[in-house]
Amino acid sequence: MKPLPPTLRTKKRYVLAAIEPVGAGADQKELYRAVSCALTSLFGDVRAAMISPAVIDSVPGHLIVRCNRGGEHDLRIALATVTVAGSEALVLRSKATSGTLHALRKRIQRVTHPLPGDPEEVSFGGKVYCARRYQGQKVDLMEKGIKSQELLFLTQDDLEE
Amino acid sequence: METWANKISLLFPILSMMTVADACIHPYPEGNSSLRRMAVEARELGFDTIVVPDAVTLTCPGVRIIPASIIRAESVRTVSGRLSRYNDGKSLVMVEAGENGFNRAVLNIRGVHVLRALHLARKQSFDHICARIAAERGIAVDIDISPLIHTSGPSRQRVLVRFAELIRLHDRYRFFLTVSSNARSVLHLRSANDIVLLCSLFGMEEDDVCEALSTVGNLIAPEGPVRVVS
Repeated sequence: MKPLPPTLRTKKRYVLAAIEPVGAGADQKELYRAVSCALTSLFGDVRAAMISPAVIDSVPGHLIVRCNRGGEHDLRIALATVTVAGSEALVLRSKATSGTLHALRKRIQRVTHPLPGDPEEVSFGGKVYCARRYQGQKVDLMEKGIKSQELLFLTQDDLEE
Repeated sequence: METWANKISLLFPILSMMTVADACIHPYPEGNSSLRRMAVEARELGFDTIVVPDAVTLTCPGVRIIPASIIRAESVRTVSGRLSRYNDGKSLVMVEAGENGFNRAVLNIRGVHVLRALHLARKQSFDHICARIAAERGIAVDIDISPLIHTSGPSRQRVLVRFAELIRLHDRYRFFLTVSSNARSVLHLRSANDIVLLCSLFGMEEDDVCEALSTVGNLIAPEGPVRVVS
């Protein structure tokens, strides 16, 4: 089959979003479902179809979403309303929009995201937590247990007090 | 890097002291993030001021923490009574909106800085008369973006309609607005850019959002002639 000439192809835009917390373990499929649900819930099926979002890349801490040109503004709004992917609470913060993947991938390489350190056990407020420290001040705590694990976001100073 | 504080100072060169403020966040124990962590994240998201109800005195580099007192009351008499306790000149006094008559009366009370949670109040509870009083007395109306993020369906639609009505009144009477995330976690905080995008859902212009983000600083220290007090 003869491919469509470039002038007739649908123009795409790529949106780079940062995933927080960095250690969030949602996979690409769950992230796609979260973005798609947020978009449909906010703008309806018709607009979501026009935008046609697709998660095309996800590295730890970052996500690249493709959409049709003209839909990037609405896609960024939808990204701001994502709160959960799968069973994981997270937030997607849109960082940049580009017409090429190359530009966004270069940007990801430029922004060295502080990856969490090895998990360690700490006690806070009479409970035992699994702590992950980030470069700088940040410490994320997850309560040890099987169900309803409490998540706390603190700093080094809070733990030392 | 171009921050929102820089952007605002470029847009409004005369008011270089303008702040970029989140008008209400709820740190630990009400939420799951400590005040320090919230401040660190807020700074990274482009804010230089956060408003925290019943905040303790805490120094966070690069972020000013303004304590606030939120008054939830059924009657105006109760609001007046509580106001005398909270009105120390350092904290922001925020009153939760109610019926139309209640809102009008609250807007006339001296010492109230912000009328909040209007999206929870009944339709027509904030009308053109309330808007005029708010503009005359320099009282801000808070726009809470959390229901836009955390709700969906008819409840979000109701909030969008309410905020759109508010913006229509704001365009006519130009009363102060503030924008708050009401974040109980660092995951609920949104950047200034995201706030601009979310506010565009109900027709708020980017310049108006910039102005609303910088209102809090002016409410505590209103602009005006210098007064000799002693």
